[in-house]
Amino acid sequence: MSSDSKKQQRFIYAGCDLGICTAKVVITENRTILACEVVPYKSFPHKAAAAAMEGALRRAGVSGDGVIPCLSTGFGHKAVRFADRTAPDITCLLRGLRVLNPQVRTVIDVGGHTLLASNIGQNGDLLETAIVEDCAAGKGLFIEVMVKALEFTMEELVACSLASENPIRITNTCVVLAESEVISLINEGHSRFDVLAGTVLSVAAKIASVARRIDILPEVAMTGGVAKNAVVAREVERQLGLKFADLGGVDPQIVAAFGAALLAEESDLAGIKPGMDRR
Amino acid sequence: MIVAGCDVGALTAKAVVMEDGGVLGSGIIRARPDAVLSATEVMDRLIGNLGLLYSDIDRCVSTGYGRGIVPFAQTNLSEVSCHGRGATWLMPSVRTIIDGGGQDCKVLSVDKKGLLRDFRMTGKCGAGTGRALELMAESLGVDISEIGPLSLRATRPAILVHPCSVMTEIKIKYLVMEGIDDADIAAGITRNVAKHIMRLLYRFNVKQDIAITGGIAKNIGVVKQLEEMLDMEFVELPADPQLIGAIGAAVFAADQLTSPRSRRGYSTTTGR
Repeated sequence: MSSDSKKQQRFIYAGCDLGICTAKVVITENRTILACEVVPYKSFPHKAAAAAMEGALRRAGVSGDGVIPCLSTGFGHKAVRFADRTAPDITCLLRGLRVLNPQVRTVIDVGGHTLLASNIGQNGDLLETAIVEDCAAGKGLFIEVMVKALEFTMEELVACSLASENPIRITNTCVVLAESEVISLINEGHSRFDVLAGTVLSVAAKIASVARRIDILPEVAMTGGVAKNAVVAREVERQLGLKFADLGGVDPQIVAAFGAALLAEESDLAGIKPGMDRR
Repeated sequence: MIVAGCDVGALTAKAVVMEDGGVLGSGIIRARPDAVLSATEVMDRLIGNLGLLYSDIDRCVSTGYGRGIVPFAQTNLSEVSCHGRGATWLMPSVRTIIDGGGQDCKVLSVDKKGLLRDFRMTGKCGAGTGRALELMAESLGVDISEIGPLSLRATRPAILVHPCSVMTEIKIKYLVMEGIDDADIAAGITRNVAKHIMRLLYRFNVKQDIAITGGIAKNIGVVKQLEEMLDMEFVELPADPQLIGAIGAAVFAADQLTSPRSRRGYSTTTGR
């Protein structure tokens, strides 16, 4: 890749955050978001990443040609075959947040397989972190499994959980056990909607309990795929008694991918050769 | 004297009918959403096959997670007691039993009479259970019954160390994508389950002979891994390992008939 020819073109960079449920790609130019694409997947993460890249490029109106420096991150960062460098997901997340809203001092990131709450210093550095690694409780994956067990779709989640008047709390935190618990609840004659609303409450309670392990300093932002879920996000806000900071209208799911694109730009301009990890 | 035991588990329902100390017949079905339905279905089928009527059964003891609502049982007993009783009835030398069930895993130690001395079980987490094994097998695209034999053919077992089964499921998809051999992944799965069971055994006073019961015992891969980790061999019980709880329940039913005041097994409810 010749950097001269690229400089004559535009300063376009890509960040790809390949999570456990979705692939996110952000295309940036001059440190602003040109386009983004989120592709959910079940298997074949590398194909999802490629599809997300293709979609994002199409939206940005940029021809791919494989010359766009791209940094990958997330659970499946190794499966992003078009990326020429990688960085840890927390680095990307903080980088993205710093640009979107520098006032944020606490971030709650809830994705398909991540659940963490971190304090961010004045300079955007990572301070204390509470993280759940061993368990899928409170994460996007948990919600997805429950929604599937209740025969809803993810799109119906918000509307259908708001339709319930007396939510039934799920007592199990383990996905495997909670899945059969909801099935038993349905068979006991409870409404699907009440159980779904109960799932939302349990997930929010888990997220809030992780957040309480650190100092919750304002501004607080919630990122990740679960943050997009209005009912869960509102419930976390209610349980913590605060309001989440605005991210300038940017989809909270793509913050890490945006950070990845910024890091791609920075490492490219700093002359770090492709293939060199920032890990 | 005809007695019956009915074990209504989370994933399967099991029934055993015994006559004068010998097993007449047994049945296993996949559990229905409703415990009453599961219990009646498995028992209906079994006594139908044996050509009996409900009135022929002198006493029935139920066990398992749905034990409290089995309509035809006079008493119910904890599955922990029943597994202990069943295993020692089949093999009197057994002192430690690992019960790998559908939704939990237990280890228990019993005395010479087959009565419970100590036990531990998993609670919050579904890792190391039959359901977890099933989910992992599903994501590999292999039937659960094939995981064991397949895992024995592994040359380089895949490393699946994540504590959460659902996360492991996703990791398996990645391994499949990377083109890792199915047998190696299967070995990773069995090792994952065995490791979770071993966590229960930490500082547990394991006395020989040791037996393994429950659906997990049917998985040769997990059994072999556990034997290796424990450095012990399991004794082979002369019955289907999934039926031990139901057999124990039937043996308790017989005990209760011969000595009606017997409180063996710590009965939790009185007869209906």
